[in-house]
Amino acid sequence: MPEILMSALEELERSYKKFQNDNNAQAELAKLLQSYVGRSTPLYFADRLTKRIGGARIYLKREDLTHTGAHKINNALGQGLLAKYMGKTRIIAETGAGQHGVAAATVSALLGLDCTVYMGIVDMKRQKPNVSRMRLLGAEVKPVEVGSQTLKDAINEALRDWIAHPYDSYYLLGSVLGPHPYPTMVRNFQRIIGKETKQQIKDLVGRLPDYLVACVGGGSNAIGLFYDFLREKNVKMIGVEAGGNGIRSGCHAARFAGGRLGILHGTKSMVLQDKYGQIQSTHSISAGLDYPSVGPEHSNLFEKGRVYYSYVTDKQALEAFRLLAKTEGIISALESAHAVSYAIKLARTLSKKKIIVINLSGRGDKDMPIVAKELNL
Amino acid sequence: MNKRIQKSFALLKQQHRMGFMPFLVAGDPDLKTSLKIAKVVARHADFLEIGFPFSDPIADGPVIQAANQRALQVGINPDKVFSFIGKLTNFTAVPITILIYSNLVLRYGINKFYDKAKKAGVSGILLPDVPVEEIRPFYEKAKRYGLDQILLVASTTTDVRLRKILQYASGYVYAVSVLGVTGPRKTLSPTALQLVKKIKLYTNLPVVAGFGISTRQQANLLRRQGASGYIIGSALIDFINKHRTKPKFCDRLTGYLQSLKI
Repeated sequence: MPEILMSALEELERSYKKFQNDNNAQAELAKLLQSYVGRSTPLYFADRLTKRIGGARIYLKREDLTHTGAHKINNALGQGLLAKYMGKTRIIAETGAGQHGVAAATVSALLGLDCTVYMGIVDMKRQKPNVSRMRLLGAEVKPVEVGSQTLKDAINEALRDWIAHPYDSYYLLGSVLGPHPYPTMVRNFQRIIGKETKQQIKDLVGRLPDYLVACVGGGSNAIGLFYDFLREKNVKMIGVEAGGNGIRSGCHAARFAGGRLGILHGTKSMVLQDKYGQIQSTHSISAGLDYPSVGPEHSNLFEKGRVYYSYVTDKQALEAFRLLAKTEGIISALESAHAVSYAIKLARTLSKKKIIVINLSGRGDKDMPIVAKELNL
Repeated sequence: MNKRIQKSFALLKQQHRMGFMPFLVAGDPDLKTSLKIAKVVARHADFLEIGFPFSDPIADGPVIQAANQRALQVGINPDKVFSFIGKLTNFTAVPITILIYSNLVLRYGINKFYDKAKKAGVSGILLPDVPVEEIRPFYEKAKRYGLDQILLVASTTTDVRLRKILQYASGYVYAVSVLGVTGPRKTLSPTALQLVKKIKLYTNLPVVAGFGISTRQQANLLRRQGASGYIIGSALIDFINKHRTKPKFCDRLTGYLQSLKI
């Protein structure tokens, strides 16, 4: 990270610690998570999908049912309250799929903060409904026309904005990425997904699941689900990356399959890069997974072998997207459809006694323009 | 400590002059043109700062971002930049500092990179995205190869951080003279001037100001606060990019460079 931001990051770390230990602040967060976000979200047994596949029992953690329609709100609300706690008046955010941008804009409206969201123009085109939502919520959406015009470049621009406004503005980073303390902080705000799941599955079936499956862009919904299960040795975990057009095509965002350790956006992690270290362009049908690096904690879990990382192609994700809609009446985000696709493949190989929990991280309304085109609807 | 940078500042001090350090991106718009331009620029410079093109230069504004992109489009990579610098150091005795984002160095191998830099005739290395907390592995190689590790100080830098930074800094201290990314600003902010003054209270190293400077008037203001050098990047690159294809480009560039000198 540039020196110019280091003091702001130090201030953020100090304030976050205070915020964590402040009972009033924590009570306000808990209250809003319940009354505003709509937590806890259900853990739903996908009966018809399970029967159709004829293998392990599939449960869906319904983050798509949160206010604004994705897990992103958990973090945006937490950080929004922190920003206010720190006395900041303006929120800067980046967005890929637009779900984090919408969550940041929503929280800014709720808390009376100004909000600027950076979004690559490629993403603005393919996630158009979310652009209108952000604008309606009072946020300024700034199109990013440089580089690959997707999430990576949106983060570059958001950082450049923060470099120019480190005093009054709060950078609300949307995933477990970026410099310390963001990866830790965002993970802590998303941990609630796993905490609830653990209790809910115990209540429903009296034991822990055998598998957890989540899609991984930056990796916030995955780490949110996984974190409280990391010590449970019998729970296997799979992070699903975007395979795009396939690894061989070079058009993908599968960092663990094709990346190397590198530094991007102030964090050392797996990065898709060329042999000289230039960051490569990525491709995925889902904007939220279209990023050349991954949260550093995922790199660590990968090295330790605690979480297994795989990928699903655009085509496979679309098939799963359609199947979930038809069998369960649930239109998931294309990001989450990657997790669904992997889980379906996995379920087929397992006995009916096994339990898989999928993090259904978001809903798919935002994807309708792309899906309508791809599936000729 | 690299003798070349130290000597140049000593000489400037004797002559009561402020050092002019133009910044260029190697390989912009292509290697051959870039070398030709750098040779012209070197004739009017006391130091040179050369950027290695990178895909994601987060500390840079639109002008330098575009320069990076132009260089990358013609396939410039660190090896080509080293050969460019080698040719430049054969031509000029002006000390060269390189500016490079850390992922390129990491990928190249830190030791190999610093070794190569030394062999190419580089005097100092600046990593705009590496804070003092992470500088150690780079600093150690700089020491080993007798290069100056240049560190940045910003107006947001706390006193505690400044002291830490000065433990590792050599050659000169780079004062970031705007609150923002690179790119010309019409006026210098009072905080930029205060920053130079403050750094001078903490160290005897020369202070060089960069970011947002585009005129000799601005440089003069910084000099009054104790700055020993000034960097002009975006304004120069913008000028070159606009005039490169016009007739008598070399004369125009020479005239422009003279207008920037104190």
